[in-house]
Amino acid sequence: MQKKVSDLEYGESGIVREILASQHDLSCLGIRRNKHLKMITRQPIKGPVVVIVDEMEVAMGIEIAAQVVVEIA
Amino acid sequence: MGLTADERWDIIDAITQRTVGTGTYRRTLGDALGDLTIQPLTGIPVALGVLYAFWSIFGSFAGSLVTDGFMVKLFDSSWLPWLQAAWPNPDSILYYLFVGDPAADNCFEAFGALTSGLFVAIGVVLPAVLIFYLMMTVLEDSGYLPRLAVLMDTVLHKIGLHGYAIVPAILGLGCNVPAVTATRILETRKQRFIMMSLLAIFIPCGAQLGVMLEVIPETVGLVMLYLIIGFGIFGFVLDRLIPGSNPEILIDVPPYRWPAWENVTRKLWSRTKGFLKEAVPFVLLGVLIVNVLYLTGVIAALADLFAPLFVTWFGVPKETVGPLVAGFLRKDLAVAQLSTIAMTPYQMITSVVLVSIYFPCVATFVVMLREGWRELLAAIAVLIAVVFIYGGLIHAIGILMGVA
Amino acid sequence: MKEQSNNTTTILMVGNPNVGKSALFNRLTGANAVVSNYPGTTVDYTAGTLIEDHRTYEIIDVPGTYSLKPRDAAEMVAVRMLDEHRDATVLVVLDATKIERGLYLALEVFERGIPCIVALNMTDAAHDKQIAVDAAGLQRILGVPVIATTAISGEGVKHLADMIRKAQAADISAIRSRLNGQEQNRRSMAGCGGCSGCGGCR
Repeated sequence: MQKKVSDLEYGESGIVREILASQHDLSCLGIRRNKHLKMITRQPIKGPVVVIVDEMEVAMGIEIAAQVVVEIA
Repeated sequence: MGLTADERWDIIDAITQRTVGTGTYRRTLGDALGDLTIQPLTGIPVALGVLYAFWSIFGSFAGSLVTDGFMVKLFDSSWLPWLQAAWPNPDSILYYLFVGDPAADNCFEAFGALTSGLFVAIGVVLPAVLIFYLMMTVLEDSGYLPRLAVLMDTVLHKIGLHGYAIVPAILGLGCNVPAVTATRILETRKQRFIMMSLLAIFIPCGAQLGVMLEVIPETVGLVMLYLIIGFGIFGFVLDRLIPGSNPEILIDVPPYRWPAWENVTRKLWSRTKGFLKEAVPFVLLGVLIVNVLYLTGVIAALADLFAPLFVTWFGVPKETVGPLVAGFLRKDLAVAQLSTIAMTPYQMITSVVLVSIYFPCVATFVVMLREGWRELLAAIAVLIAVVFIYGGLIHAIGILMGVA
Repeated sequence: MKEQSNNTTTILMVGNPNVGKSALFNRLTGANAVVSNYPGTTVDYTAGTLIEDHRTYEIIDVPGTYSLKPRDAAEMVAVRMLDEHRDATVLVVLDATKIERGLYLALEVFERGIPCIVALNMTDAAHDKQIAVDAAGLQRILGVPVIATTAISGEGVKHLADMIRKAQAADISAIRSRLNGQEQNRRSMAGCGGCSGCGGCR
């Protein structure tokens, strides 16, 4: 099943399949295709989403998160 | 040679495959703390606690402990009487410029370059700046700032910025000069412009905060409240007026680390040295210039000229024009000077807010110019509008509450 | 700009944000060096000097960046510095715990064909995180000196200072062919002292 990062539940994880925007910036922070990504937390009122990739935490705005698609096992 | 990004990543994957081995990662206490301080339910209370602690340590160390407990005694009962006795001829111009009022019994009211000037710089502002930078460096080096940025993002994104703007904002509470340069971490010109304008207008610097805590401790809270509200309102308005995009936050959240003592002291020293080198001469010079302007009657003329505006529109005594002139050189000086003018508590709040929001000090001005003169001119236009609107608004609120 | 004597080499320290670059800078330039702010650009970057083996290096701590395709004005400074100091040597600082993103920047720097040396920093943190990076292997693949350091404790810094003079330009196509398993014939260099400073000797 595929899901946007913005729709992930707390603690849910999957493999990054598609990055629809700001690919360069995201990959520089370690978020690339075929990486394992886990959602840690989300701030209220459309706040940023915090994910963990390769043991590194990255915070991204909700709209960016909506453009990253992961495959959930 | 020009590889594409994908080609680079392919090479990198091949390299790491051959050279990097990972074992099973064990979570540490730091990671658990990291999670707790970024999850909204626990993180927001922690953030409020941290900011409150920051503020109270700042106030008690700088205000009560060092300034009241030591510096005031030193300056008022030793330095001032000695200088008043030692400097020849109390009627001379030089006495007026350097020592000030011969009848003054404290260093705030004397207003000479070597009395008030030195006292403000060394006695009040130095301890404030020192403790501020110490706490700032610890926040920075421990890795807390990015977490604070994530927590603040929701709010800041509504005014055209994003969470990382908290870095220049907090830096600005120390000194606006490095904060202006720090706005470069924001991505677009629009964001940088909004942040720079709000910085120059609504963020009081550590020097000013230190003096405020010293001379008007009971009203500092209200002044800060007005500044924070103004930050929000005008940020919201600027976001809608200024064309351009405001990209979302995208940052690395590093693991917590113990700040390395050596690094902290090093940073603390270089920042404090920067303050001593730039601020102290400015304060002394500022007092001198203001005194000369008083002597030559320039301030009195300006006060008469602006009296209608100040008295009717802002609701403050026309004597506050003098401090506002001084404020262009140093805001801390202006606040110190305001404290010696007789006025109601609400007028004091209004005039201190005015000193904060009107022109940034010369040094900030210069760095803003370096970021682009068009931005600077636009920021000045914004500033003038804000001073008029917000100053009048505060006066109106005072009238409605029956205190102005 | 300060006047430079002829045997002064400029070293640009380039790396991602928060990789311990400043700590390494402080270690390299030492306690007796003046960390001077350049006039007019106070907090943009800092410079200091390192005297090692009768050579003088002017080391410039460039603001952290993820890429030479900058995202914000602070990162732009890094690109500008590289453009302005074309004859400089670049010290690429990698965080051993975040090696991929560091290598991305390193490759971009390599493509410019300037002499480089790599500091694999934060090796203590990597050890704590159970990440093992093979510095010698990395050196063999990249063909430039790779030195493991821990700037916080000072480990490896002396060795790094000593190796700066062995910095050399990396060759991307050679890196690629080494990765493809076609180990290139050793480049026979005149006066090679077997220093292991390049990939050639191994």
